[in-house]
Amino acid sequence: MESKWRKIWGLIGLLLLNFVNNVSSLSLTITKVDCVYEIVRSEGDIVSGNFVVVDHHIFWSSDHPGIDFSITSPGGGILHNLKGTSGDKFSFKAPRSGLYQFCFHNPLSTPETIAFYIHIGHIPNEHNLAKNEHLDPINVKIAELREALEAVTTEQKYLKARDAVHRRTNESTKTRVIGYTVGEYILLTIASVLQVVYIRRLFSKSVGYNRI
Amino acid sequence: MNEGMVFGGRAACFLPIILVLCLTRNSNILPVAEGIWLTIPSSGTKCVSEEIQSNVVVLGDYYVIDENNPDHIPTISARVTAPFGNNLHHNENATHGQFAFTTSESGNYLACFWKDGSFQKDSELTLGVDWKTGIAAKDWESVAKKEKIEGVELVLRRLQGIVETIRGNLIYLRDREADMREVSEATNARVAWFSIMSLGVCIAVSVLQIWYLKRYFVKKKLI
Repeated sequence: MESKWRKIWGLIGLLLLNFVNNVSSLSLTITKVDCVYEIVRSEGDIVSGNFVVVDHHIFWSSDHPGIDFSITSPGGGILHNLKGTSGDKFSFKAPRSGLYQFCFHNPLSTPETIAFYIHIGHIPNEHNLAKNEHLDPINVKIAELREALEAVTTEQKYLKARDAVHRRTNESTKTRVIGYTVGEYILLTIASVLQVVYIRRLFSKSVGYNRI
Repeated sequence: MNEGMVFGGRAACFLPIILVLCLTRNSNILPVAEGIWLTIPSSGTKCVSEEIQSNVVVLGDYYVIDENNPDHIPTISARVTAPFGNNLHHNENATHGQFAFTTSESGNYLACFWKDGSFQKDSELTLGVDWKTGIAAKDWESVAKKEKIEGVELVLRRLQGIVETIRGNLIYLRDREADMREVSEATNARVAWFSIMSLGVCIAVSVLQIWYLKRYFVKKKLI
């Protein structure tokens, strides 16, 4: 009876160990190349995440080449390679445990701000336990439920970042519309006044000249 | 059932130990490698930031990772600033540190790290940063102790906390979308009005021009 209770508490403890939260949601300003590293504790963990380029040039040309993004596994192989993006989602099953590199490369010289979010999800399965321990299905189900909620959270972080970028574009459009229109009116008036002044001068000189 | 409860009571003394081991984040007893690792360049600072709303608990933990020379670990300095410039945390010449605060205003919170001048080497430094906000920063151990819940119930309580955070985030996103829709529609209406008005300004200005020049030429007896 005592061993059964011990097993239950041990399993719950193991379950709680899986809830050591591997989440990071941050913004980073990159100049040339910047890498973020994460440790994946056991193979088979699902690594999911997303990143959005926040400081995307709101300038004259929208033909910014974008940011290159790559994921490197601990063995050195490149798992994922994206060129010229302004934000993307990724999700993969870690083939082995170890240190994973998430690298952003900025081809231009101006610094860009990137908001990224990485989540490593672990669901306990038979492989992790010792031989005489028994896996309680409720723990697996709770872990799956937790991972589903984390997937929703990951998506929400992505939406938040994209919403921030969209809001900046919107505000910039609003300022531009007002600013450029008022400037256009003023320039139009100045141009027409200059035209009138020029015509006056033209005719006053030439009239005087013709009279003579 | 009685027997089970007695033994359960004895075995339950294991659980707080497990909880403490699992849930201590900021302890140096268990250097659990949580969070992300960043590289600090040999010159210059590395800053990470997050846009946080007001009234959110933020928990941060940073530690230098250097396997090359474990007896002389390089030191860094750290600074955490609030959106309007207040200094929330400042640390110099340290290999690890932690900070905790509750945000008073919503905005961009910045944590910057740079190498100390005392250990100037050309190599880059690896720094582990563990940054937790909101529900992830909640101290579940104290909740378990206070409300005397444990095991599956505690786990489900955590899941409920996550669900509530998700709902809060959805409401925030919905409100932001409503704001942006209003700005978009206002801009749309303004573009239409301003274009028509610029046509009107153009016509008015040219009519004024012609009227003025005609008057001028008549005055100068050219017409």
